[in-house]
Amino acid sequence: MTKNPPSELELRRAAARAMGGEEAVAKWHAKGRLTARERIATFLDPDSFQEFGMIAGKGSYAADGTLKSFTPSNCVMGRGETEKRPLMVVADDFTLRGGSSESSVAEKWIYGERMAHEFRMPLVRFVDSVGGSVKILEQSGRTKIPGYTLWPGTAMMGAIPVTSIAFGACVGLGAVRVIGAHFSVMVKDQAQVFAAGPPVVKQGLGHDVSKEDLGGYELCTQVSGVVNNVAEDEKDALQQVRRFLSYLPTSAWELPPRLTSTDDPRRRDLKLNDAIPADRRKPFKARGIAESICDQGSLFEISPKFGASLRTYLARLDGYAVGLMINDPMVMGGALTHAAAQKMERFVDLCDSFHLPLVYLVDQPGVMIGLEAERAGTLVAAAKAGAAIEQATVPWVSVIMRRAFGVAGSMQGPWNGPSGTSLNHKFAWPTARWGSIPIEGGVAAAYKREIEAAPDPDAHRVELEQYYHRLASPFRTAEAFGVVDIIEPAETRALLCRWVRDAVRLLPSQLGPKRRTLR
Amino acid sequence: MSVEKLTSPVTGVVWKAMAQPGATLEEGATVLLIESMKMEIPVDMPRAGRLTELLVKEGDTVSEGQPVAEIE
Repeated sequence: MTKNPPSELELRRAAARAMGGEEAVAKWHAKGRLTARERIATFLDPDSFQEFGMIAGKGSYAADGTLKSFTPSNCVMGRGETEKRPLMVVADDFTLRGGSSESSVAEKWIYGERMAHEFRMPLVRFVDSVGGSVKILEQSGRTKIPGYTLWPGTAMMGAIPVTSIAFGACVGLGAVRVIGAHFSVMVKDQAQVFAAGPPVVKQGLGHDVSKEDLGGYELCTQVSGVVNNVAEDEKDALQQVRRFLSYLPTSAWELPPRLTSTDDPRRRDLKLNDAIPADRRKPFKARGIAESICDQGSLFEISPKFGASLRTYLARLDGYAVGLMINDPMVMGGALTHAAAQKMERFVDLCDSFHLPLVYLVDQPGVMIGLEAERAGTLVAAAKAGAAIEQATVPWVSVIMRRAFGVAGSMQGPWNGPSGTSLNHKFAWPTARWGSIPIEGGVAAAYKREIEAAPDPDAHRVELEQYYHRLASPFRTAEAFGVVDIIEPAETRALLCRWVRDAVRLLPSQLGPKRRTLR
Repeated sequence: MSVEKLTSPVTGVVWKAMAQPGATLEEGATVLLIESMKMEIPVDMPRAGRLTELLVKEGDTVSEGQPVAEIE
């Protein structure tokens, strides 16, 4: 029996699977990189990928109209699953013309994103594109006004989880596809993200600057914060996005999945009782406190190196997904810097949009002060973060561990909230101190003359400070019910695990997009 | 032996040198304390090694990211 020759569909599909061809793929592998199809296969649950638009591309035809050859689009797109939950994945294929939009068939990636939006499932972008090329003009015979009419780039930020991985140099639109996400990650020493690369910078500004200096991981994840996390390699990047999505609902219309927890919700970690040093000048390790309180192994940190005086984690309490913020006094003394304020605003929006109840463990000395901070406009960033908190409707609880001073100290949770009914539910540890003005500087200012006139000015100042510190005992505030309760630190986990059970009961009535997307 | 520069995590004033050049230190040992926002912020050894040079002295003002010590 003779075998039928391959059908046209089979031929076209085979060409699509071959991507840039054997040679291009071998060269790509030699660089230690995965192809777009391999990245998708590594990322998704086995056999869950339903590709769409596989045979979009360019055919070349003989004079009689028969197919001579077929070059696929360099965008691989479709529906898949992680942990058996659906999502859309859109991946650039660098082996075909460097992933350039010149041969991606724009309708295809936009369709993938629109489908994620319309079908209310997360969007995952694998960005690896050199960007546009001037040669595109030759193909189309005209230039176009920049933009994509049908791209729901902003609207979907309030509707579905959007994630991105930068695998290579991401420029222009590629960069926007990376940064316009709730969670972005870039591969160390392999990816760069910038508005324009070194040749354009050289031409426009005359500056010689390397790709890595201009948009490498140090700049993007530590200085500018345009990308959240860095990954050691491609597999680590894929794993981080899977992990991020495991905390989130499929869309704003659904609830985050709860996992079974084996960690006792009433577990008391006595180490917590000594976590805050008695000497107020001594910092403490924030992560250790967060680890003690949350379900074991449940912390996933977002933007660990940016604005790190505030740490932001996705975490679990008795299996329920929550957002957890904690001030880190090891970084800038824990102050609300410009970067930390931006980070807070984005994190609060993320948690509020996707129904992750918020826990804030507070040790806040205030908005960052000094010339650099004033020049950066830190107050505006702090005010925006405060607005994000006030607009949040997701259930919120705070525990003041130590300091809560000034404007930033007031930003522990919504005071009224959009509906005017927020509780500002807050607890404190016995080590807490708060106030509009810190006592040390405050005493020096208010008693300037009296201190100068004293026989021993230093001793007099210390005496006054001690007097005010006694007045500042948190128990005096608790007498007036200025805080719901003062708790033993080791009781914190039990308190929060009970709270989260009450909090998640409110979530079903809050489903759907919130009234804002990006602020 | 690779040489590595330690940087200040914070803008502030050098409060105390906790180790002197030549000292062999464990990972996590404190090299300097920087005073900032009324806190003593440590500059710690990222790994075990030898402190070869302090690039600042007590009382110096430092900015975030400024190299403050060299280790190998």
